[in-house]
Amino acid sequence: MTQNLLSVQDLEISFRTAAGEVQVVRDLSFELAQGEVLGIVGESGCGKSITALSLLGLVPNPPGRVSKGRILLEGEDIVTASERRLRQIRGNDISMVFQEPMTSLNPVYSVGEQIAETARAHFNSSRSEAWERAIEMLQLVGIPSPERRAHEFPHQLSGGMRQRVMIAIALVCEPKVLIADEPTTALDVTVQAQIFDLFRDLQHKIGAAIILITHDIGVVAQMTDRVIVMYAGRKIEEGPVSAFITDPRHPYTRGLVNCIPRLSLDPSDDPEPLFEIPGVVPSPSDLSLPRCAFAPRCRNAFALCLEKSPPLLPVAEGRAAACWLETEKPG
Amino acid sequence: MVKSAPVVKSVLRKIASILLLLLAVLVLNFVLIYAAPGDPVEALVGEMGGATPELIAELRATYGLDRPLWQQIGVYLGNVVQGNLGHSLYYDQPVTTLIASRIGPTLLLITTALFSAIIVGTILGVFSAQRRNSTLSHFVTVLSLAGFSAPVFWIGIMLILILSVSFPIFPISGMSSSDGTTSTLGYAMDVAHHLVLPALTLGLIYLAFYSRLARTSMIEVLEADYIRTARAKGLSRRSVVYKHALRNAILPIVTFAGLQFGQVISGAVLVETVFAWPGLGTLAFDSILRRDTPTLLGILFFSSLMVVVMNLLTDLLYRRIDPRIKTS
Repeated sequence: MTQNLLSVQDLEISFRTAAGEVQVVRDLSFELAQGEVLGIVGESGCGKSITALSLLGLVPNPPGRVSKGRILLEGEDIVTASERRLRQIRGNDISMVFQEPMTSLNPVYSVGEQIAETARAHFNSSRSEAWERAIEMLQLVGIPSPERRAHEFPHQLSGGMRQRVMIAIALVCEPKVLIADEPTTALDVTVQAQIFDLFRDLQHKIGAAIILITHDIGVVAQMTDRVIVMYAGRKIEEGPVSAFITDPRHPYTRGLVNCIPRLSLDPSDDPEPLFEIPGVVPSPSDLSLPRCAFAPRCRNAFALCLEKSPPLLPVAEGRAAACWLETEKPG
Repeated sequence: MVKSAPVVKSVLRKIASILLLLLAVLVLNFVLIYAAPGDPVEALVGEMGGATPELIAELRATYGLDRPLWQQIGVYLGNVVQGNLGHSLYYDQPVTTLIASRIGPTLLLITTALFSAIIVGTILGVFSAQRRNSTLSHFVTVLSLAGFSAPVFWIGIMLILILSVSFPIFPISGMSSSDGTTSTLGYAMDVAHHLVLPALTLGLIYLAFYSRLARTSMIEVLEADYIRTARAKGLSRRSVVYKHALRNAILPIVTFAGLQFGQVISGAVLVETVFAWPGLGTLAFDSILRRDTPTLLGILFFSSLMVVVMNLLTDLLYRRIDPRIKTS
């Protein structure tokens, strides 16, 4: 196997709470190859955003910390890297686009300055070179009249524009890995489509590998090569995107895929009731129980599911799932 | 670019509302003083050692106190518009001259205390916000609690007891002990020496407030999404804290500093009285005791003028720091 760009091994992230230390991510391993688009899917609170932050060494500490595992970027461990080394990696090798374009830009600096300072932090470029680079980036992310826009402040731009600026900041140093954490959640549907077109376009130009974190199955289907499904801090299924859509193995994944409403224009077509997964995501403190975390919400749960947590096992070529139904038959 | 037009317009609108406000302040002050017990002429006569009813009536007529309230207000407003704040009953000087001679010491005291407090308070706040459970952070909490609870005159008296009486390092009161023969530099050093204790007293109160404000504001800003963005860009810690966080955290500090600077006189009354500092605060205090209404009214008016002018300046300064204000 060729060495992957990014390799996450047995990652565990813990948070100190009033009720003791709680593991919000456990036993998480995944690989990311050069130029690949990996989707990480799951409901709010499943640990996907904190996983993304851990890749940048930005797990808020205290109360959180990476308590186990390794995150290897081209063989170098990010978990044990010095703060100084992390600063060199952030924004340069790995960069991130956040969920909230409205609040992720500093209100008191022009957008040009916010792009340019990233370039200055990583390249030994002069102010004017960095400014030129910022304007180039604004052009690249499709902002009209970039020379003028560069002088504007975040509040003068729309949400979609701001997210383009965020993308420009993330890409200004041509990173090897771009993490996009629900980059379009706060935006209109039409703007969403534009942003994803932009991602695809830029991926061709810059060749970065992308980790796309989302709960939108439609986005996953359009954008990604491979998908990881997370539930309650664990990876419960992994596989190529086509298999994920057409043949989900884990009951939770099946639930997610079925949750996409279908559009129909035929009035005689009896609208199917919208599918939902009953129940809510368990709180991390419930997870100490030795059972499948999804069992309380699973239609197919049987005795074993409530006794032991299922291991993640290969179910087909390049696919894995953590469900007793795959290996054991209900007896 | 034509960016100045809306600014000019909003400044003009502000000035118009300020004029109205000042008018209201003048009338209200006048009515309040008029309604207050105590007669200025009787106080004056008392100082003179008594007078005949004829003299009292004459004095009343001289100062216009025999006329009805609305006429008195009318005359007063007319004078104020012409820059005449009246004539002091006690000092026998125009009130404007009196205020002009006392404003310097007050400004010196207030600016020294306020600026030192803002600078030190901001530094304390910024450091303690980054390490919320450090000794420094707890120190800031205790300091601000103490500063809020201790009365300013008590702090002043304690400082005098310790640093002037027990260890005579600083003078007890006044602004200068030179006899006018020393050089300018010598005089300045002398004033600075006298300034330390009153400025320290007032500064401690302000420091309690600003260190707390800076700490709270900084903690809030450090949690902001754009700080996470700044860190994710790979910026140095210094750049994250001082460029990205401080510039935002300083906004409430600027607001309060502007407001507080406007309240120079009320802030200074107690400290100036304790240290016999020859500023507007002692003048106000003395005018109250002496029923010197024109002087008191003049100081009150001047004080509100300071408040509105500083508000206006704060507003303009705010525009420089926070780009969001320009368009809204």
